[in-house]
Amino acid sequence: MEINIIIFGQLRDLLGKGLVLNDVADTDSLTRVLNEKYPGLAHSTYRIAVDKEIVTENTLLPQNCTVALLPPFSGG
Amino acid sequence: MTAKKIKNIFMQGPVPASFIGESIQQHSAKTGIGGHSIFLGQVRADAIDGKEVSAIEYTAYEEMALAKMHSIREDIFAKYDLICMHVYHSLGKVSAGEICLFVFTSSAHRKAAIDACNETVERIKAELPVWGKEIFSDDTSQWKVNK
Repeated sequence: MEINIIIFGQLRDLLGKGLVLNDVADTDSLTRVLNEKYPGLAHSTYRIAVDKEIVTENTLLPQNCTVALLPPFSGG
Repeated sequence: MTAKKIKNIFMQGPVPASFIGESIQQHSAKTGIGGHSIFLGQVRADAIDGKEVSAIEYTAYEEMALAKMHSIREDIFAKYDLICMHVYHSLGKVSAGEICLFVFTSSAHRKAAIDACNETVERIKAELPVWGKEIFSDDTSQWKVNK
């Protein structure tokens, strides 16, 4: 199962614009995998959106979903 | 209320003053309007550690931002007696002194337009997935933090 991850704001400096991960069941495992891959990430503030909805608890990742990592917003 | 189409709010580069003028002009046909409220966000040349911000470069998660703006718009129309509302936000580079956000609300009586405009601006800043990168005159940069 492929999960598309898109990256925004300052997190692009660390992870680039996006990546694809395989076999990640939920958002907690996703965070674990990413923290291993990108050690700086654990110190960053961001929220996770699954298919454009911000999630606050561990959430199952549906097939072909898009996950976005969103640092604090600074529009306007 | 009928389901409205999701509107695009993003424009590449600054919001031109002429565009704002034309938007006002277009409302002269809507004679039920008695008051407009307009907020214009302008890129400020902040001095940070002795360096001056010369521009802000905006990026957004556009799909999510437009969906979020749609729900903000529905909330605002449900809460205030508005006749219409228009929102434009820049993407890409906007130089210091140029306009990066244009929020325009209209109502029969001033209070609804003023309150709706304020609340919309606050919600845009807090809820839209948009990021600004402050570019300094020496071409270095840092990510903006909203206050």
